[in-house]
Amino acid sequence: MKTTLAAALLMGGLAWGAFAHADDKVIVLDSGEAKLSLIDEASRTVVGTEPTGKEPHHLMITPDGKSLIVADSVSNDLMFLDPHTGKVQRRVEDIEDPYQLGFSPDHKWFVTAGLRLDRVDIYRYNGQDVTLAKRIPLAKTPSHITFASDNKTAFVTLQDTGEVAAIDLPTQTVLWKLHVGNTPAGLWMTPGDKYLLVGMTGEDNVAVVDWHNRTLVKKIQTGRGAHNFRNLDDGKHVVVSNRVESTISIIDYTTLTKVGDITGLRPGPDDMELSADKRYLWVTFRFAKHVGIIDLNTRQLIDTIAVGRSPHGIYFANSAPVYAPNPD
Amino acid sequence: MIDTLISQADNLVSWLQTLVYVDVVQPIFYKVGLMGYDEDTYDALYWVIVGVLEIVVMYAILRPLEALRPLESWGDRKALRADVWYTWIAKLGIINIAFFFLLTPLFNHWQSLMAIYNVPNIDVDSLWPGVTDRPLVSFLIYLAVLDFAGYWYHRWQHRFGVWWELHAVHHSQQQMSLWCDDRNHFLDDIIQAAFFAGISLFIGVQPSQFVVLVAVSNFMQSVQHVNARLELGWLLERIVVSPAFHRRHHAVGYGHEGTRYGCNFGVLFPWWDMMFRTASWNKAHEPTGIRDQLPAPHGNGVSYGEGLLAQQWLALVRIARRLAGKGYPMGGTAR
Repeated sequence: MKTTLAAALLMGGLAWGAFAHADDKVIVLDSGEAKLSLIDEASRTVVGTEPTGKEPHHLMITPDGKSLIVADSVSNDLMFLDPHTGKVQRRVEDIEDPYQLGFSPDHKWFVTAGLRLDRVDIYRYNGQDVTLAKRIPLAKTPSHITFASDNKTAFVTLQDTGEVAAIDLPTQTVLWKLHVGNTPAGLWMTPGDKYLLVGMTGEDNVAVVDWHNRTLVKKIQTGRGAHNFRNLDDGKHVVVSNRVESTISIIDYTTLTKVGDITGLRPGPDDMELSADKRYLWVTFRFAKHVGIIDLNTRQLIDTIAVGRSPHGIYFANSAPVYAPNPD
Repeated sequence: MIDTLISQADNLVSWLQTLVYVDVVQPIFYKVGLMGYDEDTYDALYWVIVGVLEIVVMYAILRPLEALRPLESWGDRKALRADVWYTWIAKLGIINIAFFFLLTPLFNHWQSLMAIYNVPNIDVDSLWPGVTDRPLVSFLIYLAVLDFAGYWYHRWQHRFGVWWELHAVHHSQQQMSLWCDDRNHFLDDIIQAAFFAGISLFIGVQPSQFVVLVAVSNFMQSVQHVNARLELGWLLERIVVSPAFHRRHHAVGYGHEGTRYGCNFGVLFPWWDMMFRTASWNKAHEPTGIRDQLPAPHGNGVSYGEGLLAQQWLALVRIARRLAGKGYPMGGTAR
């Protein structure tokens, strides 16, 4: 298993502690205010803000680790930032409604989900620039993305129609759709590409999809408004934020069962990031204008930091790795 | 100081927003399967709370003024009841909800087509890097551009017969008060929202973070309609639209007649009226309303409705009559 994970991590090329830098800042996207907040990880204080485009929701590191891409969904552009300091490096315009974004594990494809425009756009990536390959109309409200390790298949949740869609990247065609329930959102691929986990924001569970056979295997009860995922980098657990219940559930992905809840949170836990020492889980509270820090040893919320309106995506360079093929 | 006040006001609104959303709205949305609108609703709720607070502040400040320094004395305030309903409907964002469901998908589609076919647009934020991307600067540019557009929208409301019949709902109030600003035909509200959304396609979207300034501009428009003696002075009334300037726009025989179909069309700033020669600085107090409402021989004694539903319906009736060639003559002769 460890070999598989290591290979996957290398293939993903995602941020390791090796990228740690003295100026490292935690970067939080305040999607309701067209700005990002820069937080000093050690002192847990906001040390600055930077303007972004309108409605920045999600962000991810480039495969070479040199830039952090912030997707401005209403401004229709991408901002490339220094992943350590949050300073703007460049802007790429005419990327339409990039609500969520992701690179295929082999870095050949860059995919954006247009929640507002009911479309998924697939771009070719040459290590520097993206070139549109195809726009795929995909009703309705495509939101989150993940990939299979075969580098051929991308998965997208369709919130309003309650489906997961599989897209063949080489031909840029929709392979199939599977109805999974009410308002599917976050996606997470279990190691070995066995199952696709789907956060069911309109329900109180995580759907487990055997995507090879296109079947819904089971639903793991977590909490109302199950939304997005973050692995705990321990080879066994992934957490899911429950946006209505305002809890975070811990799932053992080897047994596909819930093994615990983190409670006592502020309203609307959303995106999460894990510190490099794997002890602290940072989480944006979408409906409380705060970021929270959870000590995973005690499962307690130990600190909160006031940020801007509708905090959504969160990133820090010095974080525990995300298992490829899952984007950040 | 101002920053602190704005920040404190924002914190208060945000606290209420979270409280109402988490304890009331979100559980209902979850129950009825509307979680797909979770984020939009939370964001919209901020504006609803701002709207409610606007009404509270507007009433607290302007109502005592109307009581202490009334411009007109009325036997009763029954005619204002409909305006109170209009105000709550507007400030609670009910018209915006209608727009969201009816027209947002269409605008999203157009926006998509514009990008695909490289239709040029102006990104105000990036016009002058380092200057126009500053929040206050870009806001002021947006405000001036949108106010200019508002001026022309308003002139067209007076210029075209069918459109005028919708806008006449606003002008038919003969007892102007702090509640009068939101008295509009709902169809006109939606057309107006579409008009400004269309402009936003070309200049970007108005930044939502300037909620306090937006609230202030709404307050200014309420002030324009207030039934109180409120002198701004020569200079200030040439910078912002004063109650006297706007009351002239509502005056029978002046505000919506003549070769330019009225005068003083400015929404927030009188500059456009000065620029296009539609400004009237005459402060003579005149009755407000529409000549068509006046009893003969001054008018035709036509009822424009007392209640909200009647006003909405009668506007459609007048449109039908106008389309049949029986409409109240446009333009006419200014006295």
